[in-house]
Amino acid sequence: MAKVTIYSTPTCVYCKMAKEFFKKNNVAYEEHDVAADMKAREDMVAKSHQLGVPVIDIDNNIVIGFDQKTIVGLLGLDKKVTAPAA
Amino acid sequence: MYDLIIIGGGPGGVAAGIYAARKKIKAALITDTFGGQSLVSSSIENWIGTKSISGFDLAQSLEEHLRAQSGIDIMDGDLVSAVAKRDDGTFAVTTKNGKTLETKYILLTSGSRRKRLGVPGEDTFDGKGVVFCTTCDAPLFGGKTVAVVGGGNSALEGVEDLLHYAAKIYLFVRSEVLRGDPVTQEKVKSHPNVEIFWNSVIEEIKGETFVNAVTYKNVKTGESKDLPLDGVFVEIGLVPNSDFVKELVTLDPFGKVVVDHKTQQTSAAGIWAAGDVSDVLYDQNNISVGDAVKATLNIYDKIKKS
Repeated sequence: MAKVTIYSTPTCVYCKMAKEFFKKNNVAYEEHDVAADMKAREDMVAKSHQLGVPVIDIDNNIVIGFDQKTIVGLLGLDKKVTAPAA
Repeated sequence: MYDLIIIGGGPGGVAAGIYAARKKIKAALITDTFGGQSLVSSSIENWIGTKSISGFDLAQSLEEHLRAQSGIDIMDGDLVSAVAKRDDGTFAVTTKNGKTLETKYILLTSGSRRKRLGVPGEDTFDGKGVVFCTTCDAPLFGGKTVAVVGGGNSALEGVEDLLHYAAKIYLFVRSEVLRGDPVTQEKVKSHPNVEIFWNSVIEEIKGETFVNAVTYKNVKTGESKDLPLDGVFVEIGLVPNSDFVKELVTLDPFGKVVVDHKTQQTSAAGIWAAGDVSDVLYDQNNISVGDAVKATLNIYDKIKKS
């Protein structure tokens, strides 16, 4: 199981979408509110050089924003999801 | 071969998807995310039938309603990158993820995206002090000095959000007037932590790892100056997502797709448009829904006759 950490703010809708996505796909994650937690904010900035949320850490791979395609790839979910018939 | 491909998952696209499914049109809907531009709104109070709903909840309820239909293919997490008209009058729709789909008809409900400043440093420092989602990232600028660019409602609301966090806010307004809600205007104008730069535009965003200054110009005097700060919040309005059809349909000077407002048909046979991507007079969720339904019924009439 991949170790997933999400850095978020309470007002960030893309963070909510990412968390919903994890829940739907049964992916356990740890969340840090960088609006309140200064230590977590420093960690996030050090890891990502970003001042924007969400930042998602999947086994030390840093994903900027709710980039669903990259997240699916990193979690190996593309092997489980059936693509719609085209 | 689809009968209809709906491009976009805002209120218009979802309304079209539901009507298409109920009319048993062989359809697909392609969208990055659901909910459209309202997704980031903390509260929507004019969505008819609901006193107040957050953008996130609206997006979820739209998605749920669409997914309750059978017979429509939903491709989310993807974006349309190109539309090509083929010799037989049908279309090939290509997505960012590399899929190509064939369809007889297209409904554009691709909405708008945030306009960028188009100045040096904007791309380099995107996410490094340059912010396009004020509600998302305002809390990260606690105690900082920031600029908000724009003179309309979204800029004023951005300033309001930031007042909870930032120590100093410079508001850059291109003209001599603010547009937008008069109550918010007064609040912003009279707040001691807000300083308004009238007739001023940002020329460059500077920094090292993160933003540390901007160069701005007073358009009346022509004078340019540097100003140290930590963040730039860009709230200068929207541009329609019509790039991928600009060779196929007539656009107005703002890039909006020109439609016949009785049927939502564009200048190109087989392509309809509704919502903010069309040259609708008022950009409203409720109007997008109605116009998209109108378009879908018109497409249904076309399919029945063919």
